[in-house]
Amino acid sequence: MSTDELARWSRDLFTVALFVYIAAMLASFAFVAFRRRSMARLSTVLGVVGLTANVVSIVLRAAAAGRTPWGNMYEYSSMLAAMAVAAYLIGVEWRSKIRTLGGFAYAFVVFSMAMAVLFFYVGPQDLLPALNSYWRQIHVTSMITATSVLGLGCVFTILFLIKERSERRQVSMLAQQDPPPIMGGAIDADAPPDFAPGADEPVLGPSVRRGVLPASGVLDHLAYRFIALGFPIWTFGTICGAIWAQGAWGRYWGWDPKETWSFITWTIFAGYLHARATAGWRGRRAAVIALVGFGSLFVTYYAVNLWIASIHSYAT
Amino acid sequence: MRTALILLLLLALASAAGSLIPQFPNSPERVAQFLSTHSVLGEVYRRAGLFDVFGTWWFGFITALLFTSLIACLLPRSRAHLRAIRQRPVHARELDALPLHREMLVAAPPEVAARTAARVLRRRRFRVATEGASVAAEKGALREAGSLIFHWAFVLLLVGVIVGKGTGYSGRAAIVEGQTWTDARLNYDATRLRLGRYFDGDFSGLGLRLIDYRDAFDPETALPLYFESELELLDASGAPVGTAVASVNHPVAFEQLRVYQYGFGWAPVVSAAKDGQVLADGPVLMSQQTAPEGRSQLAQTWHGFVKLPQVRPEVDMAVELELWPDGRGFLFEGMPMFDANAPLIRYQVWEGRLLDPSKASLDTRFMRVVRGGFLWEGSTVDLDRACIAAGPAATVTAQAGCPGGVEPSLTLTFDSLPHYSVLQVGKDIGVPVVLAAAILIVVGLLAALYTSRRKLWVRAEPAGEGSRLIVGGLALQRRSQFQTEFDRTVDALVAASGGSVREAVAAP
Ligand code: HEM
Repeated sequence: MSTDELARWSRDLFTVALFVYIAAMLASFAFVAFRRRSMARLSTVLGVVGLTANVVSIVLRAAAAGRTPWGNMYEYSSMLAAMAVAAYLIGVEWRSKIRTLGGFAYAFVVFSMAMAVLFFYVGPQDLLPALNSYWRQIHVTSMITATSVLGLGCVFTILFLIKERSERRQVSMLAQQDPPPIMGGAIDADAPPDFAPGADEPVLGPSVRRGVLPASGVLDHLAYRFIALGFPIWTFGTICGAIWAQGAWGRYWGWDPKETWSFITWTIFAGYLHARATAGWRGRRAAVIALVGFGSLFVTYYAVNLWIASIHSYAT
Repeated sequence: MRTALILLLLLALASAAGSLIPQFPNSPERVAQFLSTHSVLGEVYRRAGLFDVFGTWWFGFITALLFTSLIACLLPRSRAHLRAIRQRPVHARELDALPLHREMLVAAPPEVAARTAARVLRRRRFRVATEGASVAAEKGALREAGSLIFHWAFVLLLVGVIVGKGTGYSGRAAIVEGQTWTDARLNYDATRLRLGRYFDGDFSGLGLRLIDYRDAFDPETALPLYFESELELLDASGAPVGTAVASVNHPVAFEQLRVYQYGFGWAPVVSAAKDGQVLADGPVLMSQQTAPEGRSQLAQTWHGFVKLPQVRPEVDMAVELELWPDGRGFLFEGMPMFDANAPLIRYQVWEGRLLDPSKASLDTRFMRVVRGGFLWEGSTVDLDRACIAAGPAATVTAQAGCPGGVEPSLTLTFDSLPHYSVLQVGKDIGVPVVLAAAILIVVGLLAALYTSRRKLWVRAEPAGEGSRLIVGGLALQRRSQFQTEFDRTVDALVAASGGSVREAVAAP
């Protein structure tokens, strides 16, 4: 096949993947709404199909460009989507056996792919020699992987905040009844619901009423797991970027906007991990920090490339 | 912990300001532009140091506070950890109150069962203490050690940065092909020279001679494939000690200096003479404007100046040069010019007062253009009459040769067109330290996040012929993963003690 044909196939498969992910998202939401097991199964199958199309699209793109397929925002977004779906399928559906969160995870993925289609499509092209380095490849791969994993972690954080709020409301409602209905004791409405002293492990408290989402403790644990996975990858990726910059420009760190924002994101997630180990910051406050980290991730990934001039911005 | 948390977030906030407001060390032009459009806000920012956030005292102060708090907490933590790993695991009494707990009957008598258990646990890399028929075991000191390594590595990182940047320097050197550049303060581009705070001013005096500059571009996309500079290295006395090639991503290490390929340009060798006496001679380092969207950078022309002060009484002259390295680029607007190929210069003669001695720009407030024309490589123009005095006439531009009879007085000759190469040169002895710290950070972080401390106790009590084996376990982190490990370990214990007679009490 010619280069043009490969590029077209790649692009078509990207579109297929996008629509299949949208279908997977709808199926998953349908499962939550109607509680039909078949919907959950359908969503999983669609996810796997979409992921396959996505990966093949990336491979064809690499063949078309004759290089590793991460040279611009379009390719980053495609890769980000594949990583996020893989992380979701493995980390949530397979390992944690949770199937109610697919809709939200796919929404994140669909958003990232739609951005790529709307704003970033460019044909396969060569890279500048300054981009052409072994360290750069590792750097970019790590940063994209970390972005997808941290992004999912943040999606779960948002859900945690929603769920935790509704749980607190229920607890205080029950506490007003007399006598307190659960275990005969008073309920401390201010205490964070489901935390053990170990900070990284939830202990599921008496679940008041099962809602659509998993219990807040489960969501919090899941968010922590994703962030604790994404954070070291981010750290590693940033370091590889510094090594690359040292080779290409003779300075490992220059407070260039992209570097600055990856530092900011790193610092905020470091803050999140500290908060989880700090009494009085666990739960809601830590989650709010992670949410700020989500915003910062977004700026690092999109805004810096699009609006802030930087030595990295020739990557757009 | 709360202090560290708040300081970390404060640092993030300060950095965000540093990326949204133009920073002087990165882009002085954008700061100047900002100041000219926001007079009041600009002054406020300037006072607060917001144009150089990462160099202000308060950024340093937050960092210093963070590291003070870090060290203050690391010292006792490290001491406690060193003590803890030397201590024997502590025996526990109430094994049945533990989260993980199993009891079973085994064939071996208590002392033997306990000794066997200790052996099995040791083989599984537990630290073990035995006391009669009771065994206490512990594993996973790596978690705390990882956290300590990780945090100490930041101290190492800071030391590497401060020592390296503080005692080092970096700047840009522009070298024309064939010329030699010496590592000395005046030979750097002054606007880009950065000296460390503790740098003693002792530049190395090492020399670099640019033997050849080479590049290649993709003919279709006009994107660069590579740039490289072949260099001869000269020691401080000027004696050659070897050659090396610096290319993008492949710097040259020369004693303590690192030399990086940064950029390139054209440096036409131009000489000006008046009545046979040379006024100026040598390569003119030309610069280029950034290409607008959609146009190849290689299609842009190159600009430079030859300044001739007091060329006549009370009159300064400046010759502004615009270069097409490939003459075809003049005819075909937008054509990328890859190589030197019949290079063409358009010149303009300015007369008046020179205010600005810089070679890179011209202050034209007291000057005006009096004439201009074109010039090929190898030709000489008469600057007074703007006609070709010698050499090839610029036919494409309909530039006429000078009428005979009058000997030209003031001439400009375009002799040849070499490249110049821009090298980033610097000394930073902290780089290996920073790299080591970075590796420790990742390794420590992984250990701290992905290991856990687990404790396990075994007690063997006599029961009939054999003994009752009571096992309790506790993981301080990652409890769900420990469940499986606990079960496997217990199974191994039982198997080693002659197999289970029967499970006495099922785990709750
Ligand atoms: C980025 C990932 C980081 C993680 C996962 C992390 C983790 C931790 C943990 C778990 C503790 C608590 C130890 C304990 O309670 O005994 C801690 C304490 C601390 N960390 Fe970090 N840390 C990180 C980064 C940093 C950085 C970059 C700094 C500062 C340069 C820092 C400064 C501190 C300080 C000052 C303490 C207090 C020590 C104490 O009270 O025991 N941390 N960190």
